[in-house]
Amino acid sequence: MITRTESPSTSRHFTQLRPPLTRQSVVTRLLVGFFLIGTIWAWGRIDMSLTRIFGGIGDINNLLQYMLPPSFGSFRTAITLTFETLWMAVIGTFLALVLSVPLALGAARNTTVNAPVMFVCRGFIAMTRAIPDLIFAAVFVRSVGIGVLPGVLALGMHSIGMIGKLLADSIEQSDPMVTEALKSTGASKRQVITTSIIPQVMPSFIGIALYRLDINLRSSTVLGLVGAGGVGFLLKKHLGQLEYDLALGVVIVVFVFISAMEFLSSLVRGTLIGDTTTPGSKFSLLRRSSMPQKADSRVHFAQVSPKAKSLTPPWTTDRTKKLTYGIIFLGLLLISFTQVNLNPGELFFALDDIWRSANLLLPPDFSTAFNGIKNGMIESIAVAFVSTALGLILSLPLGLFAARNIVARKSIGAIARFVMLFLRGTPDLIVAVIFVAAMGLGPVPGTFALVIGTAGFFGKLIADSIEEVDPMPREAVFATGATRVQEVFTSVIPQAMPALISNLLYVLDINLRSSAILGIVGGGGIGFLLFNSLRVLQFETTGAIIVTIFVVVYLIELVAGYVRKIIL
Amino acid sequence: MNAVDVHNVTKVFPNGTRALHDVSLSVPEGQMIALVGLSGSGKSTLLRHINGLLMPSSGQVHTLGKNVGDASRRELRELRRDVGFVFQQFGLVGRISAMENVLSGALGSLKGPRFGVSMYPKALRRQALENLDRVGLADQAFQRADTLSGGQMQRVAIARSLMQSPKLLLADEPVASLDPESSAQVMDILFRIVIEDQLTVICTLHQVELAMGWAKRIVGLRDGVVVLDQMVSDIDQSDVMEVYRRVEPERSPQELIIIDKSPSTGVSHP
Repeated sequence: MITRTESPSTSRHFTQLRPPLTRQSVVTRLLVGFFLIGTIWAWGRIDMSLTRIFGGIGDINNLLQYMLPPSFGSFRTAITLTFETLWMAVIGTFLALVLSVPLALGAARNTTVNAPVMFVCRGFIAMTRAIPDLIFAAVFVRSVGIGVLPGVLALGMHSIGMIGKLLADSIEQSDPMVTEALKSTGASKRQVITTSIIPQVMPSFIGIALYRLDINLRSSTVLGLVGAGGVGFLLKKHLGQLEYDLALGVVIVVFVFISAMEFLSSLVRGTLIGDTTTPGSKFSLLRRSSMPQKADSRVHFAQVSPKAKSLTPPWTTDRTKKLTYGIIFLGLLLISFTQVNLNPGELFFALDDIWRSANLLLPPDFSTAFNGIKNGMIESIAVAFVSTALGLILSLPLGLFAARNIVARKSIGAIARFVMLFLRGTPDLIVAVIFVAAMGLGPVPGTFALVIGTAGFFGKLIADSIEEVDPMPREAVFATGATRVQEVFTSVIPQAMPALISNLLYVLDINLRSSAILGIVGGGGIGFLLFNSLRVLQFETTGAIIVTIFVVVYLIELVAGYVRKIIL
Repeated sequence: MNAVDVHNVTKVFPNGTRALHDVSLSVPEGQMIALVGLSGSGKSTLLRHINGLLMPSSGQVHTLGKNVGDASRRELRELRRDVGFVFQQFGLVGRISAMENVLSGALGSLKGPRFGVSMYPKALRRQALENLDRVGLADQAFQRADTLSGGQMQRVAIARSLMQSPKLLLADEPVASLDPESSAQVMDILFRIVIEDQLTVICTLHQVELAMGWAKRIVGLRDGVVVLDQMVSDIDQSDVMEVYRRVEPERSPQELIIIDKSPSTGVSHP
């Protein structure tokens, strides 16, 4: 008894058998709880049930009977239109790049003119990011007519959101010392930007452009569903005329195209980014590391008088390579413009049409269809929750099997990775069109479609975050005599948990964006109302719907960003 | 006539730090001044007031006959054009050539932005090569700036300020990030140019020996207050060391060590 009174600190130490709550653990638990409750609520909200799931699988099976074997009767048209989406993606990305540069300069703290300009630029970038490209496309089809032009404009507008944000971040990270040095030579603000900031952000600019082009190649294939050019239109036509075998043929073409593009872009990015990050390859690195050279200790003066020396930069391999890439890019752009019969000037004149159609949406009218908007948005959120949860259930085993550091047998990993690639290979909207054809209108086929894509995408994220786990603790746990399964649960999963939670939020975010547009093809949610309001020319209601989607998506993005900051 | 007149300047930063307290300093044309003092004593802040990168909270700065506080944005640009500034961290754009970095020193006299060496007039390019030759780097003109050594980078930065044909040269710890050998080399080049072009120079330095051998006049700052202002011929090294030594006895030596600057090169590798 006496000892206990003498050392109260040790006794208190032993009563604490649970880990203390940290901000990180509280946020993680709240988030998981919130997700579970949200999923249970959403499950009831869209009338999901096991019977409906199995019934749906039966319906899809029935449709497959009609679809198989696929017919390539419209093969030539499908190929032409698929290439049209490629050109659209190139022009759309180019348009976004051109528009993003001034916006990013205005949005970055170190280059902006003043606070109001910064606020406007950031607001515009956030808005274009939150509104899905298909919604832009649906609106632009109304203002400039059916065809390639609205599709290009939609890709361009939506891409500003990502390019502008990443570029602004990169500008803010540029070296302030260089800027100060140039300012003290009397250079103006614009001169500082071209001479100091642009060379510094160039490599990340190229990286961002390629990344976005990659995304646009994929999303351009669905724009035809709303009449904005490309192969989506053909698919819709075949399904409408109940030509299911032809429809499957088109889907296969799209699938092969997207897979091939993914392969090609990873190849291009490997060579191009690899070159720009280590310019001049090994030799310049070597030169840089051996700083104080012997020959350098005495100042050398050029033997030749400066007047005889060249005043223009020599054609080094580095410079030649840069020029070649530039020419390739311009050539691709030129081909794109001629292939889709678009005059570059027309593109920029169309920005005026965008301005006019934006004005049509104002002021947003929430009252006419208030209940519709409310219920539609809630339904979209519910679809996002259920599809994320079901997708998670499917993707967990896939991701675990695909992780190279967990499953020893290579064949299992290869199969899992192939399945995931297959599931991701077709855009959500195209899967949704088929499922709606099989199961009828409503949120359930929409959810199904999102589950497919989520399983592939989430599975890949899971596999990646597990593969990044530090192997040392695993070895230590294994050395204590734990079994492989025990070891995975005590050392791998806790280490991967923050990344997994953050990915969960990311997938929920993406699925919400997708579920907001599912309704355009009849897959439930607010998209149906959006498309309908455009059809009956109630543009102010359309404006209200877009504002609603923007607010909800932006809120989720803010929450996700905040949570990520805490748990990672 | 004085090249620089600083009258009772006090600078308080937005975060409340008082960097300069009632500082006055007059620099006649053609004089070479070394500013000495501990890191954080206000040397760099004082230099940045002279070309208007910073504005005083109170007091006045006249540089080359112009009141810096009253100058419009355009006048300020014109003033900066006549004032060369050499930084400790060089401030070169790493991804462009040494030549283009030197040419960027002429931006103040050009209208509009420039992108690439070929967009500068031929005459300026010739001048840039001559200036690179003066610092011994004509052969490296088209090498990327981030492939140069530290000493070479600082010489490029000096060549850049020569493009301005400055009347006044401000140098902020020009050799603090360099090894002793490159330091001596850079200081030699700077000294030679200053003599040849008869420039007025204000240079902050850490190394008292270097300052004594180089400058005509030494000004010591401590906690934003001028504590020493003497011609070099009138004092000896121990007088200058007082600027560094006279510290309140309560302060521990460890505190002084922490303040020293980071050794990064200052060239951006994005």
